[in-house]
Amino acid sequence: MNAFLIALIAIAGLTLVKATPLIFAALGGVLSERSGVVNVGLEGIMIGGAFAAVGVSGATGSPWLGASAGVLAGALLAALLAFVATKLGYDQIVAGTGLNIAALGAAAFGLVLVFGQPGASREVPAFGAVGETALTVLALALAAALSLFLNRTPWGLRVRACGENPRAAAAAGIDPVRTRFWAVVAGGAIAALGGVFLSLAELDLYSDGMTAGRGFIALAAVIFGRWTPFGATGAALFFGFFSALQYTLQRAGIPSELMQALPYLAALVALAGLAGRVRAPASDGLPYAGTPVRPSSGMTHASSAEWPRDRP
Amino acid sequence: MATFFRLRIVRDLGIALIVVFGAGSIAMLLAHVSPVDGFYALFDGAFGTTSEFAETLVSATALLFPALGVALAFRAGLFNIGAEGQLVLGGLAAGVTGVLLPGPPVVSIVATLLAGALAGGLWGGIAGFLKSRFGANEVIATLMLNVIAGLLATYAVDGPLHFASANEGETPLLAKTAWLPAIVPDTRLTISIVIALLLALVLWFAFNRTVFGFELRAAGGAPEAARRAGVDLRRIALQAMTYSGAIAGLGGATLVTGVLHRFNTGLSPGYGFVAIAVALVGNLEPVWIAVAAFAFGILQNGALSMQAEASVPRDVVNVIEGLVIIALAGRRYIAAQRTT
Repeated sequence: MNAFLIALIAIAGLTLVKATPLIFAALGGVLSERSGVVNVGLEGIMIGGAFAAVGVSGATGSPWLGASAGVLAGALLAALLAFVATKLGYDQIVAGTGLNIAALGAAAFGLVLVFGQPGASREVPAFGAVGETALTVLALALAAALSLFLNRTPWGLRVRACGENPRAAAAAGIDPVRTRFWAVVAGGAIAALGGVFLSLAELDLYSDGMTAGRGFIALAAVIFGRWTPFGATGAALFFGFFSALQYTLQRAGIPSELMQALPYLAALVALAGLAGRVRAPASDGLPYAGTPVRPSSGMTHASSAEWPRDRP
Repeated sequence: MATFFRLRIVRDLGIALIVVFGAGSIAMLLAHVSPVDGFYALFDGAFGTTSEFAETLVSATALLFPALGVALAFRAGLFNIGAEGQLVLGGLAAGVTGVLLPGPPVVSIVATLLAGALAGGLWGGIAGFLKSRFGANEVIATLMLNVIAGLLATYAVDGPLHFASANEGETPLLAKTAWLPAIVPDTRLTISIVIALLLALVLWFAFNRTVFGFELRAAGGAPEAARRAGVDLRRIALQAMTYSGAIAGLGGATLVTGVLHRFNTGLSPGYGFVAIAVALVGNLEPVWIAVAAFAFGILQNGALSMQAEASVPRDVVNVIEGLVIIALAGRRYIAAQRTT
């Protein structure tokens, strides 16, 4: 019984650790999508945050400066996406995919330039276990703060208005392009904290591919959490639990690859089960340039309204 | 309209070239290498000798298959980001088939290629099924399926499909009868390039001269209008994702039978993702995609010698490719305005 309790506590702790980067990324995604911009580039933003944090921490010896640089890098990458997605009205999903590829390449390139070696950086000053806990608390606090921001402040109302009906928002004197731009940039800064957590708290180095698709799981967490901060946090904890489980079940002789696939399978099932039952912000994914332009490709969440589910 | 279309292609190629040389130069300067030297090494590595040029065509072929698959799904308005996973599983199926079923030369080759296409089609079809049955967002579904495919392939070749004679992470060499015949002796350039180009022609015909091609375009360009006109969007989604995956899977199979002669979990250095850039630059038109694949083949293959000769990390090429995708994200993808 005692051993069981200890195992349970261990899994709970590990769940929090595994969920924290997902929570940051998912919260960034929520903020962005509530303003009407789908951010497929979360993965790239996490990579950018993780790498910049390690690069600056290694150069200055200060993990605090490193973390700040990580957040800044995430904001800058998001600004690139925000610029093409809002000011230019480009397709958000295509641009986000490009951002992922470019960020992964840039980090690999930077690794060679800064640390003189491919694959992984050397170990740099990091936050350690205390920072791990602190960042987990920060993630949960941010969820509450974002929820308050979106639901209880005038700025939050503006963000949501731009995500639901940017033309009506514009008629009410809100500039949808500007609002969306800054929502995406702020979302990028938050998501980058997930990368910082991976490279400076859970570990103390950057290695290629260390985000391992967490940005994509975060996208699923946004949908699973019905575009709300607390919902997305809950979903991130759910996926984090499956990640934590793999370490426990691995000892039971289940192949590690199958266990690693668990959170992705869970996300896939959740995606199919929830589609049609949850409603995205009405203009999520639709470019707005004076008038909202429905992208020809119909690749957006909003367009899934055209896909009625036939459930008996 | 035709003139406008051509101009747009020219404009997009122009944008792509500016990004390639602009971003490439900046990156080379960051690496303390003169862009002239860097690009010289890149092009020298892509064209310098017969075997280097053959390798460029090998890279171009590897990109052409998944790019054609991506284009098919895009035309239906389905953003298939899953070409990478479809390609990897196609390669796995081909590798295992080639080892387990050695047969007479032609039969063996056809069987391995078919196995690859089937596996890729199945993987793409899962996303198509989830979309058509439940309305699940195909972008996120294919992103998940990519990760799962990579893990599944690793598990398979080291677990239930592990052969005693093989190293970790790969199958044994295929029987020689399953190898695609080389076109240029002593190079890895095989008839897979012919298959890819034929496929491009077939798709050109299918896109522009068949009912299916028209339905794809209608579903992608104006889904609501298409639905009211009687196009079954669910069927289109399932078909488009399945065919799209099959083409990418076939590409993975040709990598196994033509280039590596075995399946290896490191089969693809992200061909399925670069394919998105190739498909966009090629404006979803099969013939232009072939041209774009050649251009990206130069980058992909030249990057190796740029790294070796000019000490510019080859990851620069990924940055360039990502930026090209971003720069071309503004276009309406569906060639709906074409009147021909």
